[in-house]
Amino acid sequence: MDTNELISHSRARFDHHQARIVLREKYQAKMTFAHAGGMWRAGPELLILLQACPTEDAVILDLYDTPVRINIVDLQYLTHSRWQEQMNAWLVEYEELHKNR
Amino acid sequence: MTQGVLLFAFNNEQIDYLAMAAWSARNIRRHLNLPTCVVTNVVDMPVTYQFDQVVTVDLPPTEQTRYFKDYKGVGAWHNKNRSDAYELSPWDHTLVLDVDFVVASNQLKQLFDIDQDFLAHRWAYDVSGHLAFQDNNWFGTYKMPMSWATVMCFRRSKNAQLIFDTMQMIRDNWLHYRQLYQVSEHTFRNDYALSIAMNIVDGHTLNTPSIPWQLASVTPETKLTQIDPDTYKIQYESTDSKTKWMLLKQDFHAMGKRALGEIVANSC
Repeated sequence: MDTNELISHSRARFDHHQARIVLREKYQAKMTFAHAGGMWRAGPELLILLQACPTEDAVILDLYDTPVRINIVDLQYLTHSRWQEQMNAWLVEYEELHKNR
Repeated sequence: MTQGVLLFAFNNEQIDYLAMAAWSARNIRRHLNLPTCVVTNVVDMPVTYQFDQVVTVDLPPTEQTRYFKDYKGVGAWHNKNRSDAYELSPWDHTLVLDVDFVVASNQLKQLFDIDQDFLAHRWAYDVSGHLAFQDNNWFGTYKMPMSWATVMCFRRSKNAQLIFDTMQMIRDNWLHYRQLYQVSEHTFRNDYALSIAMNIVDGHTLNTPSIPWQLASVTPETKLTQIDPDTYKIQYESTDSKTKWMLLKQDFHAMGKRALGEIVANSC
């Protein structure tokens, strides 16, 4: 057995700060989804934009700055589902972080 | 439209890339449910390696070597036919993955839903938080933005074909492009060729579409071990010189081939 490796292993501490950053990156990626030929990122910004549209149909820019004609209700439903689904998964993993020494 | 994942595997004296590809193919099937095709020069393949298709080619002609930090030694680097992916892929919509890219989720499935001819990562980050890694997102004296060839998704189109043709042109005239972009490194890298090619095809606008999330990277200095099939532990020296660890339950680029090689060997 390599004693130095054993000492290094026992002294290692869980990196809470960095784990939170990596978790954020992971869930930012999971917020993206495709709909109506466009690519979207679920989150408050998109939901607020959709709420600001007065009509049921609208043309808005997707993640690639491509104008896409969408049905507001459909996209709102998908955005909200994706956002909360991933936020819940994020919360579960976030709470697991605290259990690590 | 047919879809699949293309892997390139050319072993050298130290690294069994084909074993990594076979391990990766199992992860791809499990998470992405997509067929895999390996491009290799190995003719007699172990029966346990389960690829849906195998394309056997000659070893790419190269005199190129590379220093592998984790092996603390120089080895041959057969990376010069990645730009043949367009001709070699059996599918209409192809995901090209480095064999050291660890698929631990279905995240990459999203790429097939994006209405773009060609996509690669523009940004990579070091999961251990070392900010010096950010320098890898540019190259050359003039800080050319890097497009990472680790994950490339393309569909059969004029645009994608032009990008691969341009990569071949850059590869064949690497000395010229190296001088033009003032790249100090002698070694040809597909990341450089891809970055230059995408920018040329896009009319030098530096506005090429990219994968809408960052490439998580584990550097060779980081100790990597597998906890369960989709959970990995990394141990590293943090910026304040303390030994830290954390768990990864996501896709990532394992830049240290030795650690990944040990994981692959232990999983067989």
